[in-house]
Amino acid sequence: MSVWREFVDVARMFWQWLRIWCGDAAYERYQCAMERKRASARLSAKEFYLQQLDRRYSRPNRCC
Amino acid sequence: MRKIVSAFVWIVIAVIGAGALAAIALQRNERISATWFVVAAACFYLVAYRFYSAFLAAKLVALDDSRATPAERNDDGRDFVPTNKWVLFGHHFAAIAGPGPLVGPTLAAQFGYLPGTLWLIAGAAFAGCVQDFVILFCSIRRNGKSLGEMARDEVGKRGGFIAQLAVLAILIILLGVVALVVVNALKTSPWATFTLAMTIPIALLMGVYLRYLRPGRVLEASLIGLALVMFVVVAGQWVADSASWARLFTLSGVALSFWIIAYGFAASALPVWLLLAPRDYLSAFIKAGAIFSLAAGILIVRPEIQMPALTKFIDGSGPVFAGKIFPFCFITIACGAISGFHSLISSGTTPKMIQREGHARMIGYGAMLLESFVGVMAMVAACAMQPGVYFAINSPARVVGAAPDAAAATITGWGYPLEPQTMIRMAQMVHEQTLFNRPGGAPSLAVGMAQIFSSTIGGERLMSIWYHFAIMFEALFILTVLDAGTRVGRFMVQEMGGRVWKPFGQTGWMPSVVISSAFVVGAWGYFLYQGVIDPFGGINSLWPLFGIANQLLAAVALVVATTILLKMGRLKWIWVTLVPMVWLITVTMTASWQKIFSGNAQIGFLSGANNWAEQIAAGKIPAAKVVEIQRTIFNLRLDAMVTAALATMILVLVVEAILRWTAILTKRSPAVLHETPYVATQWVAGAEGD
Repeated sequence: MSVWREFVDVARMFWQWLRIWCGDAAYERYQCAMERKRASARLSAKEFYLQQLDRRYSRPNRCC
Repeated sequence: MRKIVSAFVWIVIAVIGAGALAAIALQRNERISATWFVVAAACFYLVAYRFYSAFLAAKLVALDDSRATPAERNDDGRDFVPTNKWVLFGHHFAAIAGPGPLVGPTLAAQFGYLPGTLWLIAGAAFAGCVQDFVILFCSIRRNGKSLGEMARDEVGKRGGFIAQLAVLAILIILLGVVALVVVNALKTSPWATFTLAMTIPIALLMGVYLRYLRPGRVLEASLIGLALVMFVVVAGQWVADSASWARLFTLSGVALSFWIIAYGFAASALPVWLLLAPRDYLSAFIKAGAIFSLAAGILIVRPEIQMPALTKFIDGSGPVFAGKIFPFCFITIACGAISGFHSLISSGTTPKMIQREGHARMIGYGAMLLESFVGVMAMVAACAMQPGVYFAINSPARVVGAAPDAAAATITGWGYPLEPQTMIRMAQMVHEQTLFNRPGGAPSLAVGMAQIFSSTIGGERLMSIWYHFAIMFEALFILTVLDAGTRVGRFMVQEMGGRVWKPFGQTGWMPSVVISSAFVVGAWGYFLYQGVIDPFGGINSLWPLFGIANQLLAAVALVVATTILLKMGRLKWIWVTLVPMVWLITVTMTASWQKIFSGNAQIGFLSGANNWAEQIAAGKIPAAKVVEIQRTIFNLRLDAMVTAALATMILVLVVEAILRWTAILTKRSPAVLHETPYVATQWVAGAEGD
């Protein structure tokens, strides 16, 4: 049972990492950051996605 | 007791690594297994990471985990996001790993497997990783500032301007060259062209999904995209087998270059969510999958290396590109050992996401070691095929002859036996019209990868699918570099133009977007076009130009790093960045000099141009070809001017830096560091966010 639980924990951690790595969890992380700062003005998921892309692709982010 | 065990383990790793390196270096008459390459590289990397990077972290820069990083101080959930070190490692690696470490070692294999492999391993440990790590550290201490900003602050205003100009120049040359690699991989191949063309509507579909249907759900959209890409890789065979469809997707080099130029313009000017970002997501997953599959394939198949340790072309007479081992092996390998472009990533997104200064060691130094390992795998894939086949694919028709019999006879005459039938059979196996004269590195790497993959799964039956998967993988992420690079170039041109006329600097103003995009696309498009019409296939002259530009940018980064270390009072350890910097300047200046002034028409741009001019004057060129050759002469002279301009820029920066160092050392000028003030971390060790 404990081995299974460990396996599930590792799989869950890997899944979380994958979501962060590819940007899938970016909006959730933004919401958490806003929560920590208790900021009232927050972007919607769509606004956040578009702004994030514009910023990311305005500087070198892929190498040769 | 633990210390003794640890010391024993590291001695064993070092001895195994040294043994494997000796086996690679000293083997002459028998074929050697690729396992030796993997073992030698892995052991060397482990030792370098454990000891050299630990020394850099402790003594050279003194990483301080008690200091709050930019991600902690400015945490805004957008740019500054504290990120788990393993995730950030993957993020950083995905950003730095491009086509360079695959194509460079494949081309450098013409010298034999030994010079390239040794430089990939040692160059990464003592130069490339050092550059990435130190620049990452410097940027963390400066709130995530870019290389250009750090050069301006620490070296001088002129240094900052030169760094910015150098980045734009390398970007343009890089984009032209990688586009040429794609053109050479796709020309006259309906299967490959169809597959790559279909990734555009797939990306558009993903873009609409991510924008309107499920905003930001990258994993879902990528899974849909991946399934569709796999389908079009297989469907490409049906297109190639249908006479009418095959005709539609069989394009010449010139036609392909115009399509790619039009694509680059569209990707730069269109909203980023529509085409560029979804392609990038798709490319990142396929890149990670293909690289890990190649590593697994090499470990499972353990192919024998067929290329000799050294070939006769170490004398500079190589058909893939001309020039001796020094300096051209180092210029050609480029990114797999050290890449100036990495310094832009290390001073861009990564420093804004790092949780602890201590993580910089794994992310900065470790990710570059992994990239070097990708380069070693590319070298293995290239050297595992018959040398005759390798030279047949990578040599331009003007060198070996256009007809299969003539090409095979020439290559056999060099001492690398090749039957025309071997190439015809191989072309049939991968479902291509021909594999002769396909320079650029991508087709030969795809053949090598397909041989390894098909030995693991599917055998010869799946060889054509694997080959076209490999071509799609290379072309897809090269195009991602192309569209992302064009967009960044556009922003740089807008920023520079904005200094002259303010409205031009508004990134959303349509006339400015169109003009700056057209400028950047026109600039790299010109290099692409000149490569496509080059009688020697373009790679021969353009890849060294790219290598010189890339390595010069690395020299810029090391100049900045050395200046900062000097200001930090690390004179005792200054050799850590100074030695690779001097080496790079020596290599690039020698290569620049030879590319401009060498009397050998195969190497020197000017003597190449004069040689053609003399042939026209002597009436040796048919009248119908004169205009084409005159264009080649102009292009060779332009290449000479570009090389001279790059070298001059770096010399100016180096002189400026030396003056600054002298002033600091003689105490004529105070050593003012532009670090952000110390702020203690609020995080308990090991309990940070993600």
